[in-house]
Amino acid sequence: MSRLRSSVRAGADELRRLADEELMQLVARNDADAFEVILERHADAAFALAYRMCGRQAIAEDVTQEAFLAIWRGGARYDRTRASVRTWVLGIVHHRAVDALRRHDVHARRRAGDAGLEESLEASERTDLQALDNEAARELRDALEELPREQRRVIELAYFGGFTHVEIASMLEEPIGTVKGRMRLGLHKLRDHLEGWEALPA
Amino acid sequence: MNDCEHRLDAAAYVLGAIEDPESYREHLATCATCRAEVAELARVVDLLPATVAPAAASRELRGRIMASVHSEAELLRAAGERADQPPARARGSFAGSLWLPAGAAALAAGLAAALVLALSGGPSVPVRVRVASLSPSESGAHVVLVERGGRGELVVRGMRQAPAGDVFEVWIKRGAGAQPRPTDALFGVTNAGDASVSIPSDLRGVTEILVTHEPVGGSRHPTSAPLLHVAA
Repeated sequence: MSRLRSSVRAGADELRRLADEELMQLVARNDADAFEVILERHADAAFALAYRMCGRQAIAEDVTQEAFLAIWRGGARYDRTRASVRTWVLGIVHHRAVDALRRHDVHARRRAGDAGLEESLEASERTDLQALDNEAARELRDALEELPREQRRVIELAYFGGFTHVEIASMLEEPIGTVKGRMRLGLHKLRDHLEGWEALPA
Repeated sequence: MNDCEHRLDAAAYVLGAIEDPESYREHLATCATCRAEVAELARVVDLLPATVAPAAASRELRGRIMASVHSEAELLRAAGERADQPPARARGSFAGSLWLPAGAAALAAGLAAALVLALSGGPSVPVRVRVASLSPSESGAHVVLVERGGRGELVVRGMRQAPAGDVFEVWIKRGAGAQPRPTDALFGVTNAGDASVSIPSDLRGVTEILVTHEPVGGSRHPTSAPLLHVAA
């Protein structure tokens, strides 16, 4: 173990050349410098997701901080056979954001679940440098936009708003089966767009 | 693909919106149809974060995260260095990601004293150190659990004083769903918020250690929210 560690002691530049998966092995050995590179690579995407879900900068920052400290402390274990580090990090952020939303009032959650919340983001907080802002991400956004409104709405209320299907059914005054069916139809349509997206950067 | 009456639930499940995910997970263990549906739809849901508007994490946020990480890394290195220099000729054995690497940082004198008890179990017993997760009210503190041969010690730095009439009480949990059980470990902190607390229970089989504020004399059941928890 110390050999692995000392081999990368040469500096931050060398750490930056390592893949996320290799960095996570060092993070598991409490390497703060390796963790910092992981943070550099994923903090913007993590914050963007938390902000989209929570709608308020302070809550989104708390969620992002909680998620990254959980990763550092090893409360969440990375399994490279299951997902890319990016997907795994965002999964943890999503989970923490849902917890935060469920602690807050329904009003905030309904806003979060509504499409177009991102428009409220101050222009100065936007950045075009995000790796996510590429062709494939735009295509996926377009595919989501093109879904029938009622399908998109249940997906957004569930995933971004943190509502359960029962809550969504009562909010929309629709039968539970209808809500689940719309979720399924919408996700299947997005899945059908997936061909060719497998190369989406992790 | 065979059909299953629960297949409709897969979409709600991967979106995190199913009311009772635990029982659906039990169903998944027995149903290949639903497992395949979940795997397929999870790939879509994993990409949903890519649809959000880009936003930058502020410099302050990154700084706060790294400040905590560096403080904890220093505590861990200090404990690791001490652990790597046992008093006798045999060296501690270290294996796996949870065991500390040989430390490099200078060892703070106070921390050294705090660790002596934890390290007194003999040179060949490996030492394990874990960082505690703290409640937001204690975000300025740093706490590690030093474990050796089933005996544990909490090393506390920068905790806020307990309210007048209260002490800190240490609880242990055995098993994920178990209730916290009280220990005899009641403590206060110095003006700097420091303490070293040995845990008077064998840590074997213990899954989690918690600390709460309790009235002087301690409680049989926690009467306040945990200030910190650490996986044992």
